[in-house]
Amino acid sequence: MTPGLAAGLRRWGVPLVWLGLLLLASLGMAELEAVFRWLEPDSREVIYRRTEFLTLLGRHLLVVGVASLLAIVAGVGAAVLVTRPFGRDFLPLVAQFASMGQTFPPVAVLALAVPVLGFGTLPIIVALLLYGLLPIVRNSLAGLQGIDPAVHEAARGMGMSRGQVLRQVELPLAAPVILAGVRTSVTINIATAALGATVGASNLGDPIISGIVNGNTAYIVQGALLIGLLALTVDSAFERLLGWRRIRFR
Amino acid sequence: MIELFDVTKRFGSETAVDGISLRVERGELCALVGTSGCGKSTTLRMINRLIEHSAGEIHLDGQPVRNFDEQALRRRIGYVIQSTGLFPHWPVARNIGLVPRLLKWPRARIQMRVEELMSLLGLPMASFADKYPHQLSGGQAQRVGVARALAADPDILLMDEPFGALDPITRDTLQEELRDLQSRLHKTIVFVTHDMDEALRLADRLVVMDAGRIVQQGAPLDLLRDPADDFVASLLGGDDRGFKEAALTRVEERMLPLSPRLIARARVHREATLRQALAVMFREHADRLTVIDDEDMPVGELSLRRLVGARPHE
Ligand SMILES: Nc1ncnc2c1ncn2[C@@H]1O[C@H](COP(=O)(O)OP(=O)(O)OP(=O)(O)O)[C@@H](O)[C@H]1O
Ligand SMILES: [Mg+2]
Repeated sequence: MTPGLAAGLRRWGVPLVWLGLLLLASLGMAELEAVFRWLEPDSREVIYRRTEFLTLLGRHLLVVGVASLLAIVAGVGAAVLVTRPFGRDFLPLVAQFASMGQTFPPVAVLALAVPVLGFGTLPIIVALLLYGLLPIVRNSLAGLQGIDPAVHEAARGMGMSRGQVLRQVELPLAAPVILAGVRTSVTINIATAALGATVGASNLGDPIISGIVNGNTAYIVQGALLIGLLALTVDSAFERLLGWRRIRFR
Repeated sequence: MIELFDVTKRFGSETAVDGISLRVERGELCALVGTSGCGKSTTLRMINRLIEHSAGEIHLDGQPVRNFDEQALRRRIGYVIQSTGLFPHWPVARNIGLVPRLLKWPRARIQMRVEELMSLLGLPMASFADKYPHQLSGGQAQRVGVARALAADPDILLMDEPFGALDPITRDTLQEELRDLQSRLHKTIVFVTHDMDEALRLADRLVVMDAGRIVQQGAPLDLLRDPADDFVASLLGGDDRGFKEAALTRVEERMLPLSPRLIARARVHREATLRQALAVMFREHADRLTVIDDEDMPVGELSLRRLVGARPHE
């Protein structure tokens, strides 16, 4: 094994283990039939088979991925804009929105989105986008505003343009804090996305909803297990990413 | 050459700098002193346009600064601040190479320049190039700050309390190094400081500011001997002004040839200041010193009367 690969494995070992378990569980859930039979002796079917788990996982990831990507672009973008000289006037407004929105339950966002956007994948993406925006905006603001004013002064004083200061100084320095916000946002959204199943979006929430409706605990456990493993995989990957950034210049 | 003509800066209704005129010749080090909030930093930052002046004109080598592109202007002016403002996510070598990189110098030239500056400022390449700013002591960080300001070889250097946060010994060393650098590089420097000894030691021209105006300017010795008013006198040290003046004059300027009298036991180096000579007299309870050179050879003598410049019959 080359040294680079060994170091990479050591760094990413934990997330890789979770990822392995996640894939194993998605592909081999049927192997655990005995366990689920014991859990749910009365039902005819104890393994959720309406859709393949791997397909559900893919859809789940897609929804969370799209919503998170949009949230990152919009959230970091908004934070950048209101910390520029021309956008300062909107800073209090955006900061307030970011701290207030956090108290708004995602179910409520979903309930409001459905009448406007109808059933399906779109309302859940909108709900996740809105809900995931908040930690990102809040952390991006904290990160950008937390930069030592002397660093900013020196950057400008040395003759960097505003764009250069943003790209080479502000964003890299704020990155660990921004990334922590993205981590919160994505992890919350992985769990919240399951709610999508209630409005007709198909994802890992399906077995849970179906389990609740049919009184089948085994389905619920299967959905919850996969969502939990997915959250752990992503969260531990972020943990590595953050630790690595800290070592570099803190 | 830097020239300010009747320059004013207003922040809203407050006037931070109030119609100042100033001329700093090429190769001159001009120190701005004055109480906190009198407009020293504002003056400095108007020169590199981090702050735009409200009225008057600022010229660099005869050209109004407003005629320059903002970024281009700053890239040809070195800027050093008290808290260094080093980029925490860049190693030392990269921090120093910032302006050359902005100016798109070729890689190899930047590398050479960084090495040159690091050795000039006593930062061995091997041990410092890859360190991050948080791994440096205050004095080392400030050296990096100075190196970064000098990187693209600017004619002009603006320094805002560069050594203000350092301990007295490190400050002393860096002042000496700056003097040394200046005697070789002949930059045009505007230097803000709260430390009067530092100002007197480094400055060719001393500018005293109060409430946004220049109260007095001139050679340090002239200001010490003839302060314009009580404010200048007290800022320059009140009754201690005598000591500050003594600190600006070297023993060799006052000494007399060895007299036929018995040679004095207490000795002082010819390049010591009168202040140091006075301290030796006090310590040795002597009113006469033998002046020696680098080889410890007596080259003259200095009496207390002669040191204080007493007139013959008083
Ligand atoms: N960006 C700004 N906005 C509003 N007022 C300012 C600004 N910068 C400076 N001032 C005001 O201008 C005046 C002069 O400030 P300046 O920083 O030039 O003082 P200074 O002489 O450098 O003081 P110190 O010795 O404490 O550094 C102060 O009253 C300060 O409050
Ligand atoms: Mg100041």
